[in-house]
Amino acid sequence: MYFGYQNRGSFLTDTMTSTPRSCVMLQQFFIYNPTLGPKEGEEEKKILFYHPRNTSIDNQIKNVGLSEAVIKFTETFSTERPCESMHTQKTRHLYLQPEKDFSIIMIITVPFSEKTKDGKTYHEYHEEDIQDSVYSAVLKHAYKLFKLFMGSFTSIMENNGIDQLKHRLEHFYSRYLLTLRLSHSDILEIHNGILFLPLDKNTYLRIQCFINLVEASFSQIKYTAFLYNDQLVWSGLEQDDMRILYKYLTTSLFPTSLDTELKETTIKSNQTLGSTHYGKFVTGPTDPHDQQSSSQIRPPKIFVNNGSHIEELHLVVYRALSATVCLMVDGSTIPPLDWYKNIDSFIGPQLSSLASDIGEQYANRKGSSSASQDFKFVYFNQMNLAQKTTVHNRKTSSATISPEMVRLISDINADFTRFEEDGETLMKTMSDCWVVGKKSDQREFYVVINQKNATLTEINEEVKRLCAAHFTNIFFLD
Amino acid sequence: MADSPGRPDGTDDEDQDVLIGEEPGASVHPMLATEDSYEELDYDLNIEAPITEQRERLASGTIASIVEEHTGPASAEEVGTEATELENDVERSSLEGDLSNLQISEEVTQRRADTVPDRQDVPNDTDEEVLQNREAGQREIKDEDIHSSVWRDHKKHVFILSEAGKPIYSRYGNEDKLVSLMGVMQALISFVQDGKNNLRSIVAGGRTFVFLVRPPLILVAVCRTHESQQQLLLQLTYVYNQVLSVLTYSQLSRVLETRKNYDLRRLLGGTEKFLDNLLNLIDQDPSFLLTAVRCLPLDSTVRDTIGHSIQSAKIKDLVFAILIADNQLVTLCRMKKYILHPADLHLVFNLLNASTSFQAADSWIPICLPKFDSAGFLHAHISYLDNSKACLLLLTVDKMMFFELAKCKEKIVEKLKKHHCIEAINRAVAGGGYRCLEVGISDLRHFIYKSKSTAQFTAPELEAPYREKEERARLFNMYQYVHQRVHNAARPLKIMFHVGSREAMLGWVTTGFELYAVFGPLATKQVAILAVNKLLKWIKKEEYRLFILDPPEF
Repeated sequence: MYFGYQNRGSFLTDTMTSTPRSCVMLQQFFIYNPTLGPKEGEEEKKILFYHPRNTSIDNQIKNVGLSEAVIKFTETFSTERPCESMHTQKTRHLYLQPEKDFSIIMIITVPFSEKTKDGKTYHEYHEEDIQDSVYSAVLKHAYKLFKLFMGSFTSIMENNGIDQLKHRLEHFYSRYLLTLRLSHSDILEIHNGILFLPLDKNTYLRIQCFINLVEASFSQIKYTAFLYNDQLVWSGLEQDDMRILYKYLTTSLFPTSLDTELKETTIKSNQTLGSTHYGKFVTGPTDPHDQQSSSQIRPPKIFVNNGSHIEELHLVVYRALSATVCLMVDGSTIPPLDWYKNIDSFIGPQLSSLASDIGEQYANRKGSSSASQDFKFVYFNQMNLAQKTTVHNRKTSSATISPEMVRLISDINADFTRFEEDGETLMKTMSDCWVVGKKSDQREFYVVINQKNATLTEINEEVKRLCAAHFTNIFFLD
Repeated sequence: MADSPGRPDGTDDEDQDVLIGEEPGASVHPMLATEDSYEELDYDLNIEAPITEQRERLASGTIASIVEEHTGPASAEEVGTEATELENDVERSSLEGDLSNLQISEEVTQRRADTVPDRQDVPNDTDEEVLQNREAGQREIKDEDIHSSVWRDHKKHVFILSEAGKPIYSRYGNEDKLVSLMGVMQALISFVQDGKNNLRSIVAGGRTFVFLVRPPLILVAVCRTHESQQQLLLQLTYVYNQVLSVLTYSQLSRVLETRKNYDLRRLLGGTEKFLDNLLNLIDQDPSFLLTAVRCLPLDSTVRDTIGHSIQSAKIKDLVFAILIADNQLVTLCRMKKYILHPADLHLVFNLLNASTSFQAADSWIPICLPKFDSAGFLHAHISYLDNSKACLLLLTVDKMMFFELAKCKEKIVEKLKKHHCIEAINRAVAGGGYRCLEVGISDLRHFIYKSKSTAQFTAPELEAPYREKEERARLFNMYQYVHQRVHNAARPLKIMFHVGSREAMLGWVTTGFELYAVFGPLATKQVAILAVNKLLKWIKKEEYRLFILDPPEF
């Protein structure tokens, strides 16, 4: 089957065996600001956050020193574009300078397998498994999520001091880093897109009316976002903030809150005030009518960009059945408990009925879409960040095709980015799979086709057919 | 089946089995080593084997064994020790302290000059003189200000330094002024090494920095091109081999082992030109990308006649006879047991390409072919035949054979003249290869075809729209791009078809060949497939003209 491959391997294959490869793991993650400890002997002061925590100060200083040296060395040649990554045999270092004078370095391990050749065992490192574009995106997101919840490094340092910055970094990253799923990171990290829920006009307008009504009735609410399951229906936020918030909601908040809901075994309908609804707060007070338990729970703060400056808001998430509204409330005052009560009684019933209507429509549609096993696709539109994928499992969002195929998609994506032009690439792998990528007018479309005996022409026809079926009104350059 | 080569479209698996050995340019008599250099490189980088072991793998034949076979064990030892003697000289004088520095370099240069037999009537154009000539021709780029943006923005910088961080070579700018920069490179490498790890590359400022440690040397490339780390590492390996070809590995390692701070430029003095030239070739000649050799298209009868002429002039200890014209191989005659690696042949091409002094008179120089044997020198008699473009290299293990080889060459020239072969070569060179039009496929703009079993490739002349220098460079980059994708170490491909705004490119790799073809941006896949099938038939028909399929042997 892998005839060609074996031939290529002829130089090494005779007596070799190998074990399965190890996983990509986070080795180190640190943040520093060189201006904080410019003098010799004060290097320690530069370091704002270091993971793992038990790294000796000497090693921390050494590693920070290395990354400073690398950045300085590369600047000999160019300062136009930043230092992005350093490749070593066993590790990959990703660099990010998110704000002036601040650097974040993420070091991950390169997967290896144990090989035995002529009785000798050695580690073979699979450098190509790690794609810079993917893990740079992971690192960028790690920063942007911090910024969304805590504000920028610079503003914290200026307003609250270095200790407060260190404290917040520790608070945030010591938890966030544990949730990274590096071995599942792929093209979706690069796109960082949003799954939209297509609805008929009526339902869409009803939702819009509902949101307008909510915003008009509660003037403290600055922005609103509406989601159904993990699909976005409407958002009033800037796109860039929404994609960060969206990722947080769908990968972090929803899964954990669903867990707690499941633990409660039965979803209790809220019967107070005479109306029946299924609404409850996901962030904010668990039960606004219980004075005692609720008064302590404050909703998280977020920092968003309203075009000219950074706005501080409270993120109140309210959910009924599968529908979720994110209410972003003016951050200057903490909403009183009465406010929550009013929200609950105002939104709860309406949202419950909207949710069940959408659910009906959703269920009907689901039955009609036929999923073919022969091909899988990823679609992304840079203009509205819309993303669609059948390559990934909806629940776990991990890829359902071989990692090599998913990496080929990222390869093609990296080439499109590099060439800065539209185009099309078709690839046939050693295992006779086809991976096709098209980019046209800010839209990217990737198809993986598993048809062993297909010809280049047939694949071309198949892709055309797919485009026509799924994206009727989108023009793709042929 | 022979006339219906497989199709690049997936249905070819069964056909491919039949096809192996039947693809255009296939031969069961390879004269060149055909292992995959990229894979070899990966292996070298991955395995933490002692360096001596790696060196053994480098050698496809050893000079000592040839000598032994021909003259008995005694003289083999003599040759074997020759290199050692040389190093001992260095060692001995190095003991005398820094003051003797000058003396060392003189002694070594003297030693290299000594390899020319001390006979009165030997042509004067020895390597020593060549060396002087080289030094006389100052490298203009030397004067560049290393703080200027012109220097910073060169497409591809290449640096060589010793493991101690001493500058040895810089492609641009005077390496003396780069002491601190190279010091930083060395420091970064050794810092990473301290953690039992190896630095490979850095991506920063729109550039790729690639590091190759080949003890006792460090090679670094800084590129604004989009070549892959793998491709750049292979290029640095070529550069490393070029250094070895002047010094041999034994001499290089001995010198730097004895004195870590030794300024290697004393030994390499005057050979920068060859490194410069090599790097220029690498940036435009597909040979290096493909690890393959390009042959001068020639009627097979003419090529056979040339082969026979060389064969019949055989003398004892002549290991390889190589006839080259216009950077293309005309023929290669070898001792039955030994094959040459394309990477070694590239060094020979570079030697001729970089220096015009060989045209003036017959020369006699020592050259180390690292893939063949990195421990010692072969001795090359180099002569342009009868003032033509054809250059004959006769390689032997015996440094005293100048006159025998000169006679040998006379014999060859006589025979070639008799059969009008030199004229034929001149005509082929003047004709400037073949044109893509000859293939008779209107949509095809250009192609490169490599026959894997012979490590040879063929490509037509570059024509419109690739006449301008920038466009040629861009096309070459596109070839590099497709090549890096189909040859990705982790995710190799069978077929790749890429449509950009200015052209469509097809890359197709099978067990027997690699084909890269360029079409207009509007060419459909159907057109491309029809075209390459037609192209393969054409190459098959022309294979005896485009490739050397029956290489002569001594």
